[in-house]
Amino acid sequence: MKRIAEILIKGYQVFSSTREAKCKYYPSCSNYAATAIRRHGLKGFAMAAWRLLRCNPWSHGGVDYVDYELDSADALASMRNTMVSRSSTQGTLKEGVL
Amino acid sequence: MGFILNPLYNIVSGVMVFFHNVFAPLFGADSGVTWSLSIMGLVVLIRIILIPLFVKQIKSQRALTALQPQMKAIQNKYKDDRQKQSEEMMKLYKEHKTNPLASCFPILAQAPIFFALFTVLNGIAAKTDAGVPAPIARGFLKGEYLESAAQAKFFGAKISESFLGTDLLSVKIVTVILILFMSATTFTTQKQLMTKGMPKMDASNNMMLQQQKIMLYLFPLIFAVSGVNFPVGVLIYWSTTNLWTWGQQYYVIKRNPTPGSPAYEELQRKRAHKAKLEGKEITGEATPEVEAPKVEGQRQQPKKAKKKKK
Repeated sequence: MKRIAEILIKGYQVFSSTREAKCKYYPSCSNYAATAIRRHGLKGFAMAAWRLLRCNPWSHGGVDYVDYELDSADALASMRNTMVSRSSTQGTLKEGVL
Repeated sequence: MGFILNPLYNIVSGVMVFFHNVFAPLFGADSGVTWSLSIMGLVVLIRIILIPLFVKQIKSQRALTALQPQMKAIQNKYKDDRQKQSEEMMKLYKEHKTNPLASCFPILAQAPIFFALFTVLNGIAAKTDAGVPAPIARGFLKGEYLESAAQAKFFGAKISESFLGTDLLSVKIVTVILILFMSATTFTTQKQLMTKGMPKMDASNNMMLQQQKIMLYLFPLIFAVSGVNFPVGVLIYWSTTNLWTWGQQYYVIKRNPTPGSPAYEELQRKRAHKAKLEGKEITGEATPEVEAPKVEGQRQQPKKAKKKKK
């Protein structure tokens, strides 16, 4: 099920890139949905649906991560720093995070 | 699923039948022209409904010129971290309550319609296992309408046939031409935007430009792969909506271009030239600094004032 959702989202991303319209949130709705579903399963679907409803012409968009403490640029940067200090476990850590 | 899809089928088939009845006295009830026009009518109706959203988006794009310095600063500050750069950019938009991006709504609103049209037209094309045509009625497209639509032709190809679903050469030719047309309209739309519609790029935007260039050459492939599965009627829908997008953008670029874009400069030159011919005072008119607020005045100034209050 997750696999199917992932493929559908990827397909949409390739397809929608032929059009100019883009998401007013960061990360984009499709990226958000992919992360949410991968990480939270069924709850992720609901999160993605709620995000899609918020992404309308009357909202102001903005930064909106699935899990801010895991995905934000600052979180990733601090993660990278700890990984450098523990370089031997870098590979496995990265797998776990992404 | 039915309770979501049935209303969509009703909308799509209802609009088609409505336009069919409008055009039937002109071209004949069973004419392919009538049915093709009813599909185009559906597109035009949807796109007209979406115009206010488009205008809103254009307005917020214009409002961005005021933020230009801050955007530059962000790009410079985080030029090594694209994610951080995007985050800060979004924060800036939000802070100023303006967002140049269209939101996912317009494209997603069209997707169910597109899907419903696809199903309705596929219903028209349905056959039994033995290959005998057995059209399936959906929504208002039933009875005599269904029979008439099943026979309707667009330049000799039935609107219900698809490239892969037929051996008829005429259908293959028409689908290929429609796919080429779709590619051409998307290509020119994108090209026009890139060369004339956008402010001049600096290095940090170049990556985006590069990405768009790649997409530019991917469209025909994407259209070809998906287009061969779609009935001619869906391709008519798609071509029309592409043509509409192109026309809409052409109008905006000609009449109300983004400040800083080549098209904008061209318009400035033209206006200055016109003013000169009319014997007006040229000084001041010709300088962009003075003219810029004048051109956009009625639309932009309320927005600017709001932001300053914030």
